[in-house]
Amino acid sequence: MQCAVISNRPLTEGFFHLSLAPEEPMGAITPGQFVMIRCCDFTDPLLRRPMSVADFEPDGSRFGLIVQTAGRGTGMLSHLVEGDRLDVIGPFGQGYNVPQEAKSVMIVAGGTGVAPFMTLAPTLAAGGKNVHVLLGARTKGHLLMEERFLHAGAQVHVATEDGSKGFDGLVTELMGKQLDHMDEPPDLALACGPAGMMRAVATLAEHSNIPCQVSLENSMACGFGACLGCVAHVRGEERYVTVCRKGPVFDSREVEI
Amino acid sequence: MDISVDFSGIKLKNPVVGASGTFGYGLTYEKFFDLSLIGGFCTKGLSLQSRAGNPIPRICETPSGMLNAIGLQNVGLDKFTSKKMPKLRKIDTAVIANFFGETVEEYTELAAKLDAIDGVHGLEMNISCPNVEKGGAAFGTDIKTTEAVVKACRSVVKNKPLIVKLSPNVTDISEFARVCEASGADGLSVINTLVGMVIDITKRKPVLANGAGGLSGPAIRPVAVRMVWQCYKAVKIPIFGIGGIASARDVVEFIMAGATAVQVGTMNFVSPGIIPQLAEELPELLRRLGADSVTELVGAAHRD
Ligand SMILES: Cc1cc2nc3c(=O)[nH]c(=O)nc-3n(C[C@H](O)[C@H](O)[C@H](O)COP(=O)(O)OP(=O)(O)OC[C@H]3O[C@@H](n4cnc5c(N)ncnc54)[C@H](O)[C@@H]3O)c2cc1C
Ligand SMILES: Cc1cc2nc3c(=O)[nH]c(=O)nc-3n(C[C@H](O)[C@H](O)[C@H](O)COP(=O)(O)O)c2cc1C
Ligand code: FES
Repeated sequence: MQCAVISNRPLTEGFFHLSLAPEEPMGAITPGQFVMIRCCDFTDPLLRRPMSVADFEPDGSRFGLIVQTAGRGTGMLSHLVEGDRLDVIGPFGQGYNVPQEAKSVMIVAGGTGVAPFMTLAPTLAAGGKNVHVLLGARTKGHLLMEERFLHAGAQVHVATEDGSKGFDGLVTELMGKQLDHMDEPPDLALACGPAGMMRAVATLAEHSNIPCQVSLENSMACGFGACLGCVAHVRGEERYVTVCRKGPVFDSREVEI
Repeated sequence: MDISVDFSGIKLKNPVVGASGTFGYGLTYEKFFDLSLIGGFCTKGLSLQSRAGNPIPRICETPSGMLNAIGLQNVGLDKFTSKKMPKLRKIDTAVIANFFGETVEEYTELAAKLDAIDGVHGLEMNISCPNVEKGGAAFGTDIKTTEAVVKACRSVVKNKPLIVKLSPNVTDISEFARVCEASGADGLSVINTLVGMVIDITKRKPVLANGAGGLSGPAIRPVAVRMVWQCYKAVKIPIFGIGGIASARDVVEFIMAGATAVQVGTMNFVSPGIIPQLAEELPELLRRLGADSVTELVGAAHRD
């Protein structure tokens, strides 16, 4: 599927927001789903890069990505300008699933992990849920989407690794503190970020008996279930599941992170 | 233009087929195109029992290619027969069952069972699997075990063409091609992946949990073309050319080297619609090259 680049906006050092319009609307998207992007027309880098869908129109006629320049592929994406074309397939995978009964939701996001919550957090807040967003970044300057979450009516708590804003430390340490101080634990935790962070969030949530959904970032060759390269180990079983098809969002108790 | 080919009795609408391990059991690609548009496909390697596969990480990108150590994860013969075949029988495309075992007995038992399944058009033996009785070296890298396992399967496969998929990790692939032909193989698939490794310099250890993996993609194409060339010189049975095919030109290159048909692997991951696309582009390219059929170009590069 060819997409037209509508805009490429720098966010903070090393991060940018791409806005894309597919030739034909992609259809319904669930936050947490991802697309596979071809970074160039030649064969090096060869494989498509997975990217979570960030903000989007309900019919998929426009969607955004929050990208961190991590290597060659994302480096190429960073140079895109308005009017360029991009080869995208998707959306793929299973997104977050917030049950009606969950009245209070704790969202934990690190780095580009804010992407799936750009649409989800406002939707949950608008639906009358009590939404806490815990944002982690290296420094104050690296914080992403704080305004957007505040604007959506969420309670935003910030952690920076250098202490330049909010809690001085990791967002998972902040999560531990929050859980200790809350009169009533949240009904559900949702997280997106690097693997180490997902592991820590899952452990904290399990200790507090809170159902928790995490998004995994395993390397992917295809993104649609054909290569079996992206799998995660099912907890307590001698069995693997594809992250691209059964995930990337899993109940934290389902798989080894 | 008619671009159909006959591969040892397997009728292929066109000479572009999905390679094993990159095409699932076919059905994964139904969301991208109508499977009846393609020549056929090879299933993920099947074993008697289902297999969980290797620990992760299993894949890693390389220059114009990738490494994989999936560990032959598959649903197993029973589930393939009961869950996948009923759907596949309804689709007008050639289904080639790729299979492997860890002992000669496992290979033969599986070959006999697959030979009896209605709707399977051909069998493709993956002999790159470790031989547990011989210290784990791949069947396909030892000429004697290759001969033994191909002969054993040949003796039980009565109904369908038996194709042997050769390992490229040998000194002289034409020796292996000859021994397969002499042992009764009806065709060859050339090549499987080349063994490779990538090291994570920050962790000071291989990226793949398995250490080594199989290299595939455009990076291996010239190696594969040359091996098809060598096998074509060595045997009379038809050859599937495999290795890094990414365009209609690449298809023609393999055919001129001696392939009767080709298989596309890794590029399906990048462009899931590539097989029908290549089949569609092929007639125009053949015309430009002054050819009226695929068959007349088979081995064309060998002629003076
Ligand atoms: C479901 C999913 C959703 C995702 N969503 C997002 C998103 O919304 N935004 C986003 O920015 N990212 C996202 N990612 C991650 C993103 O896909 C990767 O960051 C991207 O693929 C990197 O591609 P690249 O070509 O830029 O980097 P690469 O060139 O592939 O390099 C990646 C990293 O590996 C290092 N590296 C390479 N070779 C070696 C070696 N031999 N030894 C040691 N280190 C090495 C590089 O230095 C670099 O740090 C997501 C991933 C998944 C699976
Ligand atoms: C992820 C992956 C899994 C594979 N699994 C199998 C397999 O189960 N059986 C087999 O015979 N070959 C397997 N192969 C090898 C391919 O069928 C093919 O021979 C090889 O990848 C070269 O072709 P390509 O460069 O077009 O990918 C696999 C390849 C890849 C990339
Ligand atoms: S990325 Fe290929 S199966 Fe998940």
